[in-house]
Amino acid sequence: MRGKVTEIVKPAVQLRNVSKSFGGNVALSPLSLTIKRGETVALVGPSGSGKTTLLNIMATIIKPDRGEVIIDGVPSQNLKPGRELSRKVGIIHQQLDLVDQLPVIHNVLAGRLGEWGICRSLLSLMIPQDKELAFKALNRVGLIDKSHQRTSRLSGGEQQRVALARLLVQRPQAVLADEPVSSLDPARAEDLLAMLTDLVREENQTLIASLHAVKYARRYFSRIVALRQGRVFFDRPVSDVSDDDLARLYDLKEDADAQALL
Amino acid sequence: MKGDTTGKIVAISGMSITKTSIILALVLITASWGFILTSEGASLSEYFSAGNLYHTKKFLASMFGLDGGKPAFFSAESWSNALKLTYETLKMSVMAIGFTGIGMLLTVIPASRSAADGSITLRSTWYGWLVFGLIRLLYIFSRAVPELVWAMIIIFVFKPGILPGAVALALHNFGILGKLCAEVVEDLDWQPIRALRSSGAGTVQILTYGILPAVTPKFITFLLYRWEVIIRTTIVVGFVGAGGLGQQFRLSMSWFQYTEITLLLICYFLLVVGSDMVSGLLRRITQ
Amino acid sequence: MHRPFYETHNRAILSVLLVTAFIWSLFSVEWGGNLFHDGGIVTILQIVKAMFNPDLSPRLLKLALVSSWRTLAYAVAGMTLAVIIAFLLGTLASGILVEGRWSRRFSAGLFRALLGFMRAVHELVWAWLFVAAAGLSPFAAIFALAIPYGGTLGRILADIINDVPPEPVRALRAAGAGRVQVLFYGYLPMAMADMVSYVMYRFECAIRSAAIMSFVGLGGLGYQIQISLADLKYNEVWTFIFFLIGLVVLVDLWSMRLRRGLVS
Ligand SMILES: Nc1ncnc2c1ncn2[C@@H]1O[C@H](COP(=O)(O)OP(=O)(O)OP(=O)(O)O)[C@@H](O)[C@H]1O
Ligand SMILES: [Mg+2]
Repeated sequence: MRGKVTEIVKPAVQLRNVSKSFGGNVALSPLSLTIKRGETVALVGPSGSGKTTLLNIMATIIKPDRGEVIIDGVPSQNLKPGRELSRKVGIIHQQLDLVDQLPVIHNVLAGRLGEWGICRSLLSLMIPQDKELAFKALNRVGLIDKSHQRTSRLSGGEQQRVALARLLVQRPQAVLADEPVSSLDPARAEDLLAMLTDLVREENQTLIASLHAVKYARRYFSRIVALRQGRVFFDRPVSDVSDDDLARLYDLKEDADAQALL
Repeated sequence: MKGDTTGKIVAISGMSITKTSIILALVLITASWGFILTSEGASLSEYFSAGNLYHTKKFLASMFGLDGGKPAFFSAESWSNALKLTYETLKMSVMAIGFTGIGMLLTVIPASRSAADGSITLRSTWYGWLVFGLIRLLYIFSRAVPELVWAMIIIFVFKPGILPGAVALALHNFGILGKLCAEVVEDLDWQPIRALRSSGAGTVQILTYGILPAVTPKFITFLLYRWEVIIRTTIVVGFVGAGGLGQQFRLSMSWFQYTEITLLLICYFLLVVGSDMVSGLLRRITQ
Repeated sequence: MHRPFYETHNRAILSVLLVTAFIWSLFSVEWGGNLFHDGGIVTILQIVKAMFNPDLSPRLLKLALVSSWRTLAYAVAGMTLAVIIAFLLGTLASGILVEGRWSRRFSAGLFRALLGFMRAVHELVWAWLFVAAAGLSPFAAIFALAIPYGGTLGRILADIINDVPPEPVRALRAAGAGRVQVLFYGYLPMAMADMVSYVMYRFECAIRSAAIMSFVGLGGLGYQIQISLADLKYNEVWTFIFFLIGLVVLVDLWSMRLRRGLVS
C-alpha cells in the first residue's frame, strides 16, 4: 500500500517555468504543469499556440531555453537517451515519422530497439525477433494482415495505427501524441481515440495528446489543458470546461463557428 | 525439357526486378571472386607477405627520396618543368571539354526524344526518328569506349602532344555529356514552350526563347562536372603519349626516377583539387 | 515569362568566360600540317574501314568472350570492395555515428577529406603505384579500382544520408534506438534506392576501368585491344571493342530496369 502512495505522489511529467523561443519568436512563455500518473490529458489551443513544442519538450526531443523538465521524478537531463528514456516516454508525431521504406513489422519492432543490443536488432531485420509481440500489437490495431507490406503503401490512417502499434511494443509509462487523428475521417478518428485511451487505461499509462477537435477532448479525456500564445489559458477536469471557455480560447465571435467546433 | 525452361522464364519474369537483381548480383559476386581467387591465382597471404612488405617499404623510401641523391621535389628546375607540364595538362583538359561541348551542342537537340516526336519542330517525321536513333547509337558507342582506348587509336594519327589527348578525352566524354544533356531537354517543362508555339513562334524562336534559357544552367553544371572528371583523366591519356603530366609520369616510371614521380603526383593532386574548387565556384555562380 | 535581366546576366558572363578559356587553350597547339604522322590519314581510313568488317572467326570470338568475362569479373570484384569501403567510410563521413556538434563536424571533415583524397587520384595511377610497390597481382588491380570508386560512392552515401528527412530518425531515437540501430533502421533503408541506382551507374564505369587495367598488365578486353593494335590487326581491335560496348550496354539495360523497379 505504501508503494502505491509514493507512486501517486511522484508525477508522471512535471514542468517548472519552462520557456522556449525560436529566434525572436516565443513558442512557450514560462509555463508550469504537473501531470499525474494515469491521467489522460488533452492539449488544445489555436494553431501556433505551442502544443507541438510542449510535447517535444516533454519527450526531451528539444531542450527548453529555461526551466526544468522532470519525468517520473528524474530531471530530464539525467535521463540517458536510449533504453531508459524509451521506457518512460514515447511519442507519436503529427507527421507520423515512420520509415516508409521498411516493411510494417520492422517499423513496429523499432519500439523494441531500446531493449535490444545491436546484434539482435541487425538479426531482426532478417529474422524478425519478438514476433509475437509485434503480431499482438498489430492485431490490436487491426493490421495483422499487412505486417509484411512496405509502410509507404499504407493509407494515412493505417500508418497512424502502425505508429500506435510501435508504441504498444515500446510500452512507455507516458504516451505523448501530437494530433494523432488529424488525418483521419471522423469515424476512424473516434475508433483510434477509443483504442488509444482504452489501451492507456488498461496499462495504467499516462496519455497526453494534442487535439484540434475539442469534442474529442471532451469525450475521451479526463483533463483539458488549453494553450494560447505559449501560455496555459486554462487547465481543468473535462467536466468543468464550459463552451464559453472554449469560445474565448479560439476567439470565436460567430455562433456558427462555435457550433462547428464544439 | 522445353516446358521446363519456359516455366523457369515465367518464374523469373514473374519475380520482381529487385529480387532478380539481388540474385544476379550475388551470383556475379560469387563467380567473380571464385574466378579471381582460383583461376587467376590471387592469394592475399602472398600479396601481404614479408617480401612484398620489404619491396613496398623500399618503393616508398625511394619515392620520398630517402635512398640517396637529391630528390626532384627539392630542385627548382624540376619544379618549373613540372609546373609547365601542369599548365599544359590544364590546357588539354579545357580543350577537351571545349570539343566535347561543341559536339554535344551540335547533336543534343536532334538527340532528344522531344525533337523526334515533334515537340520542337512542330512535326514528327520518320527521318527525325532516324537521326534520333543514329545519334543515340553514336553516344553509346562513344561513351562505351574508354578514353585510354580512344587515345591509343588517336595516337596512330596525331603526333604526340596535347591535341591527341584532348581529342581522345572529347571522344569519350561526348557520349556521356550528350546523353545527360539530351535527357535535360527531354525533361523540360513543355507548358511554356507550347504557349510560345501557339502564339506563333517558329522553330528557331522556340529554341532561343523557350529552350536555351531553360537548359543553360543544367548544361553548364554538367559541363563543369565532366571537366572535373576530365582533369583526373588527363594523366591517363598522357600514358600513351598524349602529352602533359601523364607522358612525363610514364617516362619517369620507366627510368625509375621515383622522386620525379612524387613531384608529378603532387602537381597532379594540386591540379585536381584546384579545378574542383574553381568548378564549385563557377557552379555556385550559375545558381 | 519575364526573366529579370541580372538573372541571365551572370550566366552569359560565365558562358563567355568558358568560351574564352577554350579559345585560349587552342592557341597552345601549333596548327599546321605538322599535326599528323606521315600516313596518319591512311591509317585512320584503314581503322574506320575495319570497323565495318570486324574479325568474327570462332577463335577470336571465343577469346573475346573469355576476355569479357575476365574484365567483368574484375569490375565486380572491385565494386564489391568499393561498396564495403563506401559503407564504412561514407557513414563515418556523414557524421551520424557520433554525438555532439563538434565531434560530428570533426568526423565528417576528416572522413570527407579522406574520401576526397581517394577519388582525386585516377584508378590507373593507383594501379601503377600498387604494381610498383608490391608487384603484379590481381589484388593490385582490384584495390586500384576499389579505392577511387569507394571514395566516390562513399561521398555520395554521406550526402544521401545527410539529406534524409530527420523526423523518422528522431522518432526512432525517441523509441530508444542507439546510433548504430538508427543507421540500420532509419538511414540505410531510406538511402537504399538512391544508393543502388548510383552503384549501378558506377558499375558501368567500373567495367571500362577494369578494361584499361591492361596497362598494368591485367588481362581482359583492354589487354587484347592493346595487343591487336600493336599488331596493327584493326579488325580484331573492333571485335574486342564491340564486346566491350556490348558489356556496357547490358549493364546499362539492367540498371535502367532496376531503377524503374525501384521508383515504382
Ligand atoms: N523549429 C522551429 N523553428 C522556428 N519556429 C518554430 C519552430 N517550431 C515551432 N516554431 C514556432 O513556435 C510556435 C509554436 O509552434 P508549435 O508547432 O508548437 O504550435 P502548435 O500549437 O503545434 O500548432 P499547430 O496546431 O499548427 O500544429 C509557432 O509560432 C511556430 O512558428
Ligand atoms: Mg503542432
